[in-house]
Amino acid sequence: MTHYAMVIDLNTCVGCNACMAACAMENQTPVWKGSWRTYVHEKEIGVAEQVRRRFFPRLCNHCDNPPCLTVCPTGATYKRADGIVLIDPDRCMGCRACAMACPYDARYEVTYGDIKIGKEFYGELQRTSPSMDKCSFCAHRLDKGMKPACVETCVGSARQFGDLDNPSDPVTQLVASGVAQPLMPHLGTRPNVYYIDDMKRKG
Amino acid sequence: MDTMTYTTQSIWTWWIAMYLFFGGLGAATLSISFLTDMYCRPHRKLVLWGALSGVAMLAISSAVLFGHLLHHVAVIYVLNPLVLFYQPHAWIAWGTQFILWMMVWGMLYALPYMRETPWFMRMPLVGALLQTKFVAWLSGCCLKRRRIVGWLATVNGIGTAVYTGLLIQSFPAVALWHNPGVPLLFTVSAFSTAFAYLLLLLNVFIPDENDQDIRHRYERMDVILIATELVILFSFFNYTLSGSESGYRSAKLLWNDMGWLVGFIGFGLIVPFFLELKGVIKGWSGRMPTVAAALLVLMGGYMLRHYFMYAGVYAYPW
Repeated sequence: MTHYAMVIDLNTCVGCNACMAACAMENQTPVWKGSWRTYVHEKEIGVAEQVRRRFFPRLCNHCDNPPCLTVCPTGATYKRADGIVLIDPDRCMGCRACAMACPYDARYEVTYGDIKIGKEFYGELQRTSPSMDKCSFCAHRLDKGMKPACVETCVGSARQFGDLDNPSDPVTQLVASGVAQPLMPHLGTRPNVYYIDDMKRKG
Repeated sequence: MDTMTYTTQSIWTWWIAMYLFFGGLGAATLSISFLTDMYCRPHRKLVLWGALSGVAMLAISSAVLFGHLLHHVAVIYVLNPLVLFYQPHAWIAWGTQFILWMMVWGMLYALPYMRETPWFMRMPLVGALLQTKFVAWLSGCCLKRRRIVGWLATVNGIGTAVYTGLLIQSFPAVALWHNPGVPLLFTVSAFSTAFAYLLLLLNVFIPDENDQDIRHRYERMDVILIATELVILFSFFNYTLSGSESGYRSAKLLWNDMGWLVGFIGFGLIVPFFLELKGVIKGWSGRMPTVAAALLVLMGGYMLRHYFMYAGVYAYPW
């Protein structure tokens, strides 16, 4: 059985935002209102000579115990056998409970207005109904044997994608070594996106 | 990963506070008025006012949520009762079914009383509908199985009141919401506001000297519920002060806000508590203090939910 996961190395992310652009074009996200499936958060940390910039790529964590799925009243949010959490836009009524439940701020709304703008912005829009939206790990690309668009385009190879059920996969080994850690594991969400902390590598 | 961002949300705001307030109030109003009618004494006016205003509140509550949906047609999936089989873990699914069935059983419970009331029978369309053979037969069935219908409505009413808290509790990232106290607090508040609303009805809209015992009982229950709510709120204060940064920031937002402290705790709970306590112990010469207390409790009921939605703090690790 496949169990997809992503490892993001904060030491090698240079904040070029190519992942955001690739994802937006691939998945036709409503970028005109600042909504992205993946987003590189920028923050300055430290003071005086110690100040440095940190880039923090974010996306849906495709949790094994996703709170967005348990609160979804219509069953629009569902989980595939390979661990990917998806949304059926036709089934989603847009109550936004999933966005409230997500501890990773991974969900945004697509309105009727966004569909109208999207048709002009992207020329042809795959989506026909409004709904909540989020990263799908590019499930449509994975099904064709390709990597997610953000992984494919990452210039610093900060994003690695793999199968946790394959012991020889570099992603599995990074996770097993403990170098890559999930975000907020105490919440019990069991995320499948892991981060290599830049502080640990420093010095 | 030493940087954290703490922020409140702007997704579920005043309109969800309205949904939770009217949902809880309407549900508890129906339940209390039916229980009074079944176990205290038959009370046509109380049931009619309680059922119709309760259903109206639930309709307002549902309309507010429906109006804010992104994709209105897809609501059909949650209206289907089978939703409880394929999404049993989603509280909105339960809540929708509770609200829906409470409205149905609530109207059925009130139906025999509606047929006994000349005002309804004279109403255009409604009167004609009430006189049809099918409605007459349905009314007869409800009269025969009065307690069953009443309890079906009551159970759905209690379910709705509890659901309003469970819904907020299901969001794990916010310490203020994700704890077992929330369903308890919202249920107590729903029943407290419903007693206040029914006191308002019995004192202003359907005053009757023979109902003094019901008014007294309601006032006594409300005093107990307000006291319980104050205890729960104190435990919330204690809980949020330490244990998590999210909770601590929520505590700072709430307890440094004059609207919460003076508006809700002061005028929404403590002032009506003492007004009703005096009414219970010594009684008032007029109705105004009881009416004022009821209005304050209702105001406090909305404020609780409003502040709760705005004070939930998310902790993001970036």
